[in-house]
Amino acid sequence: MAEPDPGDDGPAETLAAVSFGLATVAAVALSVVFWRGGQPQAEGILLAVVCGGLGVGIVLWARLATPQDHVTEERHLVGSTEAQVEALASDFEAGGAAFGRRRLLVGLLASAGAAFGAALVFPLRSLGPRPGKGFKRTAYADGQFRLVTAEGEPVRVDDLPLDGVVTVWPEGHTRDGDAPTLLIRTRPEQDLRPRPGRGDWTIGGVVAYSKLCTHVGCPVGLYQAEEGLLLCPCHQSTFDVLDGARPIFGPAARSLPQLPLGRNEQGELIALGDFSGPVGPGFWDRDR
Amino acid sequence: MTERRGWLAFVLAVMAVTVVFRPGPEPAGAAEDVLATGRRLFQLGCSSCHGTDGTGLETPGGDLRGPSLIHSGEASAYYELSTGRMPLSDSGQQPHRKRPAYGPADQAAIVAYVASLGDGPRLPRLDAGAAPLAPGGELFRANCAPCHSATGAGGALSYGRAAPPLNEATPDQVAAAVRAGPGQMPVFGPGVITDEQLAGIVRYVQYLRNPDDRGGLPIGRTGPVPEGAVAWFFGIGAFLAAVAWIGTRAPAREAVGSGKERTHG
Amino acid sequence: MSRAPATRRAVAWLDQRFGAAGFARTALNKVFPDHWSFMIGELALYCFTILVLTGVYLTFFFHASPTEVVYQGSYAPLRGLPMSEAYRSAIYLSFDVRAGLVMRQIHHWAALLFLASIVVHLARVFFTGAFRRPREINWMIGVTLMILAMVNGFAGYSLLDDQLSGTGLRISYSIVLSVPVVGTWMASLLFGGEFPGSDIISRLFVIHVLVLPALIVVLLTIHLAIVVRHKHTQFAGPGRLDTNVVGERMWPSYAAKAIGLFFLTTAVLCLLGGLFQINPIWLFGPFNPAQVSAASQPDWYMGWLDGALRIMPGWEVRAFGFEIPNPFFPGALLGGLTFGLLYTWPFLEAWATGDHAEHHLCERPRQRPLRTAMGVATLSFYMVCLLGGAADVIAVTLGLSVNAVLESFRLAIFVVPLVCGWATYRLCVELSARDGLPARPGGGSGGRTRRSTSRRARRRAASTAGPE
Repeated sequence: MAEPDPGDDGPAETLAAVSFGLATVAAVALSVVFWRGGQPQAEGILLAVVCGGLGVGIVLWARLATPQDHVTEERHLVGSTEAQVEALASDFEAGGAAFGRRRLLVGLLASAGAAFGAALVFPLRSLGPRPGKGFKRTAYADGQFRLVTAEGEPVRVDDLPLDGVVTVWPEGHTRDGDAPTLLIRTRPEQDLRPRPGRGDWTIGGVVAYSKLCTHVGCPVGLYQAEEGLLLCPCHQSTFDVLDGARPIFGPAARSLPQLPLGRNEQGELIALGDFSGPVGPGFWDRDR
Repeated sequence: MTERRGWLAFVLAVMAVTVVFRPGPEPAGAAEDVLATGRRLFQLGCSSCHGTDGTGLETPGGDLRGPSLIHSGEASAYYELSTGRMPLSDSGQQPHRKRPAYGPADQAAIVAYVASLGDGPRLPRLDAGAAPLAPGGELFRANCAPCHSATGAGGALSYGRAAPPLNEATPDQVAAAVRAGPGQMPVFGPGVITDEQLAGIVRYVQYLRNPDDRGGLPIGRTGPVPEGAVAWFFGIGAFLAAVAWIGTRAPAREAVGSGKERTHG
Repeated sequence: MSRAPATRRAVAWLDQRFGAAGFARTALNKVFPDHWSFMIGELALYCFTILVLTGVYLTFFFHASPTEVVYQGSYAPLRGLPMSEAYRSAIYLSFDVRAGLVMRQIHHWAALLFLASIVVHLARVFFTGAFRRPREINWMIGVTLMILAMVNGFAGYSLLDDQLSGTGLRISYSIVLSVPVVGTWMASLLFGGEFPGSDIISRLFVIHVLVLPALIVVLLTIHLAIVVRHKHTQFAGPGRLDTNVVGERMWPSYAAKAIGLFFLTTAVLCLLGGLFQINPIWLFGPFNPAQVSAASQPDWYMGWLDGALRIMPGWEVRAFGFEIPNPFFPGALLGGLTFGLLYTWPFLEAWATGDHAEHHLCERPRQRPLRTAMGVATLSFYMVCLLGGAADVIAVTLGLSVNAVLESFRLAIFVVPLVCGWATYRLCVELSARDGLPARPGGGSGGRTRRSTSRRARRRAASTAGPE
């Protein structure tokens, strides 16, 4: 390509000059905006004008300043000659052989290194506790707790209207990550079908399930009252409240564990024991 | 000719009578008149699905045409009528917000009538303006965000239904919906969310109609999905425009050796 | 005697201390081809630079502490509420720090665009065959950089301890948990116990600010050094052979344009950061493990993983009291397969085509219909996954049933890649036939080995590598 005609520089140079000028003005304006306390949109736009002006100006200037024709550089094969590779390999092997001949030392060094590496792994053990029974039980297992809301208020059946839902915890454990429980009051005309052995786990149409989805543990927050469905917003797992919270759609493969309900002397709802199974997502030895 | 003038006079007379004797505003304290108006409007506009006594109707095939309204109460009726969801022409679809079919006075009458049918939830009388905003937000995120999203933009429910966005909901409509649990929405009674707490939620929902968007264009307030779209269309688009401007295009397919080049060792 | 100009004196002074004049001169005169598609990697580099610069500013104000505090700042809808110090400092940074919000937003937009640029760059390298010998190792370094960038982005937005990112942490905990045999140990060690624990925020901070950026800088340096050592590939054309590189010299043209592109990139990021609100954590609220919001998605570059989780039907493997839970397959296994395939692709292709020669010319995608078709099919697979991650938003926006959307995606995940791959193959064959270019569906396209360095062989190589 031919050298650009110096007479053609005019528009490009003017444009570059205007770009730098705009950048300068914008930078001053930006300083004023910052000095006055800042405003995100003004800051973003002015920053963009400053940088954009600099960028456009520099690129235009580069085009003006440098010749447009291309340069060719020879490219050599990346690989070296066979002779060079052979020489390197020989040098390396010869040097290594001086050590490698003493097999006993090599073996002992290797075992020392392996033992040291193994030893250094142990501090990592302090990163967290042994995954113990905590994965398979919640605080409910320690007794018969009153069910309380996040504010610590106990719940009676009559506090929950038909089609009502509330999140509760065992009393004194409202900060436990594995214990949030959904209390749902089903309507009498809804066909609540308890699982075998759980006939007395509900009271007055109120049923309790773990709020943690058995897929990957998001709180199953959506209750579709008309149909008695619990929907998890994360991956759309859907559970049938009337059928032991069995999953009817989505990636969840297990029902939500159910909590056995009872009433204390004051008529407040209590839990009669832990959930019907480990709460939340699955893991290797969950069923053992 | 005379006959035509006679008919014209008759029509004009009828019109005059209806203008003179049109139903005026209800006098205060005339509760009986309100209920009567409500019953009349109910028979005209609602009974074809909900039954003449509001106990619901089934189609000949056994499907529900309109549910019983005995336990709906003031809250439910107010919500459905003021958001225009009722009257509903197609009971197969989820009702949507639209222009109300009745004026405020007629709505009040029908609401009063439906409330009189049974013991359903009342429309709370709240002073949302005085309620604390921050606790209201906390309660909103705990109870409402799973369906309506933390920004009130709405969300998907199963099988084609949706929790609607809240950007058009008035304070009374929010309060009514919380107590009534319309459609798929659960019912949050006073035992779970007190009237004071509800006032806070109502106030927060009003805040969400015009929240603090000091970061710029809110692009739907639906989180990373529109953000990713903007990143690819605007961001990568602008990036590619920049490199297209600065860089060259592929060289033309010509014979080897043409063109001037300087070799450089 | 008059003093020499300042530049000469500076160069002399430096050379007296490093003796690098010869090396520096070679470096300044290096030739870089200037096709626009070769600048996409630079876009990623500049995004990373902006990430570091804005990130440093953010670290001056952000406190990665889980300690519970009560907010008393200027954003009224949160005043008086309990939250972690991490979340509080992020709110403070957004509302009460000069340039805090715009820096935070530029930082987040830059992260999204960093990953997007990497993906476009990866696609360019893939579809032009620029990963072939001698560039296989650099390809693997590039894939590693992409993984590090993804993890760092996830760690970064999870630091703020807001409801949306906390939900994402919960999901990642459960995916780790789902790994057979060692899952519970890995999750417990990573998070310091059961979810949520109180260690993860401070650990993620160190990972996000120190460990991963350091790794990225080191690998990026090696990545660029290898490019300089190999010299950049180029498209075939007049005077462009396997044995040369035609373009512009590093100094001044290429350097000037690179600096110009840096400023233009920064301008785009600043415009996004100021004009488009991103991650408004004050609306999401502080993280609570018992709460969730509708429309919970990760940032786009993790969206394919989230979509795979949604599309997967509820199948699990259970035997003898042990189980491999559902999330393992779309979460851990798919990820492992994805990156495994990416890493080994250069070697797989070389084995399949029998082409082990050195290549320095880029191919046009149409010249390699099979590779291009497989690449497009793979991209469309991940596109279906990505859209699956947005299934609920798509359903609400278009008025569809989210169940129907996901069920159709279960079919689409197989059908779409096949259809796209087949259509691409046919298109490539058609286009290359029209161009009169040799389309080698499976075979190599010229290239050299050390054995063919005889003059005759070099002439032969030159004629096959050039245009026909």
